[in-house]
Amino acid sequence: MKNVSMYTLSTCPWCRKTKQFFADRHIPFEFTDFDLADEPTQDKIIREMEADGANGFPFVRIDDQVVEGWQPVRYAELLGIPSAAR
Amino acid sequence: MNPTSRKKALRHFFGKVVEPLGFKFTPDAELAEFLLDQEVALEAKHGVPFCPCQPIRRDRARDMQIVCPCIPFHRKHFDAMKRCWCGLFVHEDVTDPDSLPQIPAKDLGLE
Repeated sequence: MKNVSMYTLSTCPWCRKTKQFFADRHIPFEFTDFDLADEPTQDKIIREMEADGANGFPFVRIDDQVVEGWQPVRYAELLGIPSAAR
Repeated sequence: MNPTSRKKALRHFFGKVVEPLGFKFTPDAELAEFLLDQEVALEAKHGVPFCPCQPIRRDRARDMQIVCPCIPFHRKHFDAMKRCWCGLFVHEDVTDPDSLPQIPAKDLGLE
């Protein structure tokens, strides 16, 4: 089983779709909503994202691979499952 | 101003800003309503309608670049995607916004 974690925003519809993508496929994941986190956690998230050259949410990590944005085809590729609908 | 009135005002104002840039509101009405609801709430909390899909860093110079409509600050990136990051706006010729993925700027060689 791949290790999946993500940084998201509670206000972002693409972040909701991303969480739903993994939930629909019964793939466990951890997430942190950036906007609901405390300031030290937000600073840590920004540092991690910037280290990967990322600026936008959702920010998904599947094992050691990072995907920025709602990219279901890429999620499926990294998970080794059939490509998904939008 | 109540949230419904403010949303209407933002829609009016944003339309006038993005049209000369070659953008329009997404044809996905449900998505547009959701995003505008979020922006009204963000404006009530922070004083400005930030993008609902980008981080507020508590760095004024950076944060001003994600005030909606943030197209002028990300013009090459959004032109390449034919949409803004959150999808509230799309190029004026777009009829199927679901066909437009989010593509990180670095993947487009823009950063």
